[in-house]
Amino acid sequence: MERRNEILNLITKKPGITFRGLARELGIGIGDLQYHLRKLEKEGAVFSRKIGKRRYIFPKGFEEEAQRLIIAISTESRRRILLLLMNGPLSQKEISEALGLSQPTVSYHVGELQKLGIITAEGRGRSVIYSLNYDPETIARIIMEYRPSVWEGLADSLIDFLSGVGDGE
Amino acid sequence: MEVVLALFVLMLSLVLAGVSFIAYKKSHLRPALYLLVAFLLLAIKKGVELLQLTQRIEKDVGLVIGGLEVIFLLLFVLALWRR
Repeated sequence: MERRNEILNLITKKPGITFRGLARELGIGIGDLQYHLRKLEKEGAVFSRKIGKRRYIFPKGFEEEAQRLIIAISTESRRRILLLLMNGPLSQKEISEALGLSQPTVSYHVGELQKLGIITAEGRGRSVIYSLNYDPETIARIIMEYRPSVWEGLADSLIDFLSGVGDGE
Repeated sequence: MEVVLALFVLMLSLVLAGVSFIAYKKSHLRPALYLLVAFLLLAIKKGVELLQLTQRIEKDVGLVIGGLEVIFLLLFVLALWRR
């Protein structure tokens, strides 16, 4: 029971931690961890979501947040934008130059991230400055563990291409 | 050899349709939906051609194939249209 509380505490402290991350940080054997996680999921204390090739574990009450995060990190460009914004607020032009993406592509992705409330936009003179509006530690943890499949990588490239061409609707 | 090539095109079209589907699911970009339909139509077109090639269809399917080609290209243009 004490072990289970220890697991729950870590998941609450670090929402979006992966199975592997949990095992590493707590030094628990895989079988043991699987058993406790199954119990915790059954009790409704935690839930998990598969993103890319990894399964992320969240505490109860984090459902809406988890959904927002999943959408926010679902494409490679958004992950790169979020990681870039961790260093500080930037304009669309600066993001575009730093990542080598076209301005319409950046505009599409920051628009989506803004809708999700993960970043905020603030008008400064002629340009709009974007900054992170979410716990950077959680975002970094989820992005660092993220392993997209080959198909997802191809789909991400297609999204970037199409968002640079179309209107994004 | 012709059949192998047709099968390859059919499989590639389905793969591209799959990639377009993932892209649409992730982004809800309308052009991705156009591409998904376009690649599915291409796969159907190739399927019809394959059936004709293996003599499972004896009717003249020239009009159907031509029509599918036109719709495929129109959808492609629509997906790439700058709005």
